Amino acid sequence: MRLEKCWFCSSTVYPGHGIQFVRNDAKIFRFCRSKCHKNFKMKRNPRKVKWTKAYRRLRGKDMTQDSTFEFERKRNRPERYDRNLAENTLKAIKKIDKVRVEREARHHKNRMKGKSAKERNEAIKEIDQSTILVKAPSALQPEPSLVKVSQLQLDKNVAMEE
Amino acid sequence: MAAGLASKCSRVGRSLLGGFGNNLSGLSSASHEMASSTFLFQQRTFIQMRTVLKVVDNSGAKKVMCIQALKANKKGARLGDTIVASVKEAHPNGKVKKGKVVYGVVVRAAMQRGRCDGSEVKFDDNAVVLVDKQGQPIGTRVFGPVPHELRKKKHVKILSLAEHIA
Repeated sequence: MRLEKCWFCSSTVYPGHGIQFVRNDAKIFRFCRSKCHKNFKMKRNPRKVKWTKAYRRLRGKDMTQDSTFEFERKRNRPERYDRNLAENTLKAIKKIDKVRVEREARHHKNRMKGKSAKERNEAIKEIDQSTILVKAPSALQPEPSLVKVSQLQLDKNVAMEE
Repeated sequence: MAAGLASKCSRVGRSLLGGFGNNLSGLSSASHEMASSTFLFQQRTFIQMRTVLKVVDNSGAKKVMCIQALKANKKGARLGDTIVASVKEAHPNGKVKKGKVVYGVVVRAAMQRGRCDGSEVKFDDNAVVLVDKQGQPIGTRVFGPVPHELRKKKHVKILSLAEHIA
């Protein structure tokens, strides 16, 4: 039993799933589901299709180089069955998975750094420049009638005092 | 890429031919496929009477047309089945000549075939290796990939001649 990778989206193909297409030059394409298979038939390049791992790795949205990936390399030599080895491998798989998830989370956080500051700056700029869309510029100035009343009051006071 | 497109066009032509002469077997699948295919994707079906297959050994023939799908289900032959075919196109000096009736083993089929682990395999075209009545191949070489379904059907000789087993 072997867990393969989907040629299009790079997810794991478990046994019993998917379609395997053999081209006449003997290159084998494995697909995890018909979505990937149909995209392949449409001749789409996975490096240009946004939801695939190939695109994400190309654009640096996901980790590309890490030591945890070394453990998953394809090995063609079958190992002699050893109970201890199998047990240790199973434990190691769980641990490596956890480490990989943590590292990916860190990579994502690094990528998103500075986003809140950027958003605040953009919001401030928007308020400065685009308030015109909400209110007319004349409405932003203090009302002339208000000024007049206070002036009148002042004049009145001055007149009363005199 | 261009070669793939060209083979796709030839496939369309071949399936049209298959649908045309298909009045007898009462299969509506061939006409159904032409009506329902909105994209370039075809619904792959069995190898039946009038299906033209490519010959991938060096027996001398180039194209054969299926006459009968032997011992298979009513609908037609699949990957790994034997068929009776008539040679339509042949190399000028080969072991088989045009018009001869031969037996063949289907080594590549565009229709997917389920494997025992649950997955499915499909190939790019329909190809056949000519054999005699006993199942021994007539030619001495086989080109292209072959599936290992042939081992179960006891076509071990073809597997040994193949250059790649899918």
